[in-house]
Amino acid sequence: MNHLHLAHPHADVPATTPLAAGAVRMLDGSAVLPLHDAEQLTGVTVHDLAAHRALFGPRRSYLGHAADTLLADMDAVELSGRGGGHFPTAAKWRSVARAGAGGTVVANAAEGEPAIAKDAVLLLTRPHLVLDGLAAAVEVLGAREGVVWLHDGAWASARSVTRALEERRHAGELDPPIRIMLAPARYLSGEATGIIRTLEGGPTLPRWVADPARPWSAGERPVLVNNAETLARAALLGHVGAAAYAPTSLLTVVSDTYRVVVEAGPDETFGQVLARSWRSPDGQAPVAALLGGYGGSWVRWEHLAPLPVSNPALKPFGLSVGAGLLGPLPQRVCGLEESGRILRYLAGQSAKQCGPCVFGLPAVADLVDRLVEGRLGRRDKHTLDTYVREISGRGACRHPDGALRMLSTALTVFADDVARHKHGRSCDAPLHSVLPIPADPEEA
Amino acid sequence: MPRVVPLREARPQAGPAAGPRLRLDPSVCDGVGICSHLAPDVIGVDSWGYPIVHAEPLTDKRDVRQAEAAVKACPRKALHLL
Repeated sequence: MNHLHLAHPHADVPATTPLAAGAVRMLDGSAVLPLHDAEQLTGVTVHDLAAHRALFGPRRSYLGHAADTLLADMDAVELSGRGGGHFPTAAKWRSVARAGAGGTVVANAAEGEPAIAKDAVLLLTRPHLVLDGLAAAVEVLGAREGVVWLHDGAWASARSVTRALEERRHAGELDPPIRIMLAPARYLSGEATGIIRTLEGGPTLPRWVADPARPWSAGERPVLVNNAETLARAALLGHVGAAAYAPTSLLTVVSDTYRVVVEAGPDETFGQVLARSWRSPDGQAPVAALLGGYGGSWVRWEHLAPLPVSNPALKPFGLSVGAGLLGPLPQRVCGLEESGRILRYLAGQSAKQCGPCVFGLPAVADLVDRLVEGRLGRRDKHTLDTYVREISGRGACRHPDGALRMLSTALTVFADDVARHKHGRSCDAPLHSVLPIPADPEEA
Repeated sequence: MPRVVPLREARPQAGPAAGPRLRLDPSVCDGVGICSHLAPDVIGVDSWGYPIVHAEPLTDKRDVRQAEAAVKACPRKALHLL
């Protein structure tokens, strides 16, 4: 895997791009919420139907030619999937449309990433933006229904969506049929092929697809799965047009006892975002940050800080905003141990279907434990390299690849920590861990 | 130490009239292992006994015959020639 080309911290750093005057953002502030749930949220105004319609006017119908305008606008702003994959949204819609009408559109807000809360923030404060986007996608594709996909236990989000749907019915809005579905509260519950499999009556587990270019239409009835933020962005684009659309990203910044969901634009660097959203436990800048998600990339902070929050600007560096995690690692936390914990968690969250993932990830996690304990011999190191090579690209989904990407970037970025542990010296860094790991219900 | 059976060296790139590709659905494969015995030239085995199948099209007739036998013999129907 070759992810980082950041040999020189400040070489060829792309400049930030100012937003157009009057550009319309999704949020009116940054949302502050606890680490483990989204019940108490502050910092963003909740828009009920009246407030939403006062801002944007009535929902637009996409049953006619308006669909072409919306797709062209999506192309113009290069709207891409915010669940993490950043696949071009218009291309996905066109592809599913070609598969035929009468299917289902899913607003995916399962948000299995333990630290990320952007979709919850949208459903709690901008439910009508998500529902406008879902309704638009149903109409553009000629689908028969929309589904809001939540994980079991996301009661605040479920209540908010239910209330929003009732508001719309009361107001006589002409929406397609929309229902809520609850998925098991697991890391992989938001994986698109698992959602499609569930809609076809199967288990919520990822499925291997023979044609990797078209995983979203595997069944007889075409299914479009879009992340909730992606659909909210499609709705915003439909309301304000490409010229007034702010190409921002929703980042979830993790501090020690709370999280902040920030709407950051290409006019800001990661350094500026952190300055206004993160509480450093020691007043110092972080060593590094985990970017994208738990299957994302660790990046040294001096490399990430000057980069603008913009996926096109990050791409040449092998980086992606992914699902929007910005997990800073404070100076006094050991990056190797933190990565080992995350790897163990990801290994436990395997769908337990594919051999290389079921057996490979725990085996790799065991070797990383040995590394942490200073007991990794030369043959173990060789075995670790072999395992990583053997697992890569061999799952039905990308779960093992993400886990290995996180590990491989950690071994580079935290080379100093690795060296300290290797020489059997106790690591003087670890105070506590920072990134949240959900308790395993089977161990409780 | 884990047992790793290496695959044969990569063959020259196939032209437009490339042969079929052997594909594995890893989510249904149980690592039974019949395939790698029937098709040792096109299927390797990883450290946990699961088959490693390469993505390149099969051009050698003997390889295609081996792959066909493996597809037929798989008790989980996890192999496909596409």
